Amino acid sequence: MSPTSTSVSSYTRTQTATYLTDVVMGAIADILADLKIDVTVLYRDWKQDEAAIAAWIEEESLQQVVLECHQPNGTVAPIIEFPVAYTTTGKGDATFTADRAALARYRAKLERVASGTTYGIICTFRKARTPQPGWGPATRASTEGLKALKFGTLGSAPHAAVSMRYLR
Amino acid sequence: MQRHRQVAAAPQRRASETWEAIGQLISATLERSPHITPSDVAAAMQHASTVGRALVAAGHLDKHAVVVVADPIYLKITTVSGMAATTLDEDLGPVAGGATATEWMIYLPTPDPVGESVRAAVSGLSHLSAEEPPGESTSKSAASERASVLNLDALAQRAEERR
Repeated sequence: MSPTSTSVSSYTRTQTATYLTDVVMGAIADILADLKIDVTVLYRDWKQDEAAIAAWIEEESLQQVVLECHQPNGTVAPIIEFPVAYTTTGKGDATFTADRAALARYRAKLERVASGTTYGIICTFRKARTPQPGWGPATRASTEGLKALKFGTLGSAPHAAVSMRYLR
Repeated sequence: MQRHRQVAAAPQRRASETWEAIGQLISATLERSPHITPSDVAAAMQHASTVGRALVAAGHLDKHAVVVVADPIYLKITTVSGMAATTLDEDLGPVAGGATATEWMIYLPTPDPVGESVRAAVSGLSHLSAEEPPGESTSKSAASERASVLNLDALAQRAEERR
């Protein structure tokens, strides 16, 4: 019998979900503040949205979080996607990392939006999800004709990683 | 007396839980004073929680401290995120000196790009500020602490001289 080895993460899926939720929510808060979009509702619903996203990452149902900016003239742009990629087994030596410095530089590339622009947060799923308070069915805005810019990995944790894509 | 406390953020706590832990640390410290009403401290932290959670989640508090000035206390609180949070030796017990505090102010940092939101959140509130905190060296307690150090040194020197 040949020797085998296994790699078992000493970190939990809850920690991965907690970490990546903070990375996504923090990025959304910074992006909206940078675009001078009113964040009153984001701040008001923070606990509810944070709990929902964390739960969906932990159960691995979340495919991506999408931030849509709805401009007064009807245009929905920019759209910023945060896709989540899951690892099949926890990486034993993986760490919790976030590239916030790169995000700060990247924010400077975001096109300004008109005064009065509002936002929406939409989650898409890769499998059945547990219902969460305050969240209901929604339809994404069309991304047809928008150009995509990849940011790359925004944050990574032992069981998953989140990246960012900017559509304008 | 200047103190620095670090609070573990993600992956140990969600941003909202981290803000609550910061609030508990501040409350535990200030409520020792008979001059400070615990509900006032709780209300201030609750009010600041809107922007506080965002400051935590975006990692701003890893670099920019929340500062509590309540003479003789000068308390800087930062968060630790990522791998370092998983091994942080955290102390959320009350900071010494709170019993004699009378006036108090919690200074929130205003990093880009959320500085404007912070200023708006604390505008008009009596115990929350988005201004730069006063320098610790200008506080009375800092002066008295330095004086006591000097006195102890002098006493030690006198003891040496007597031998």
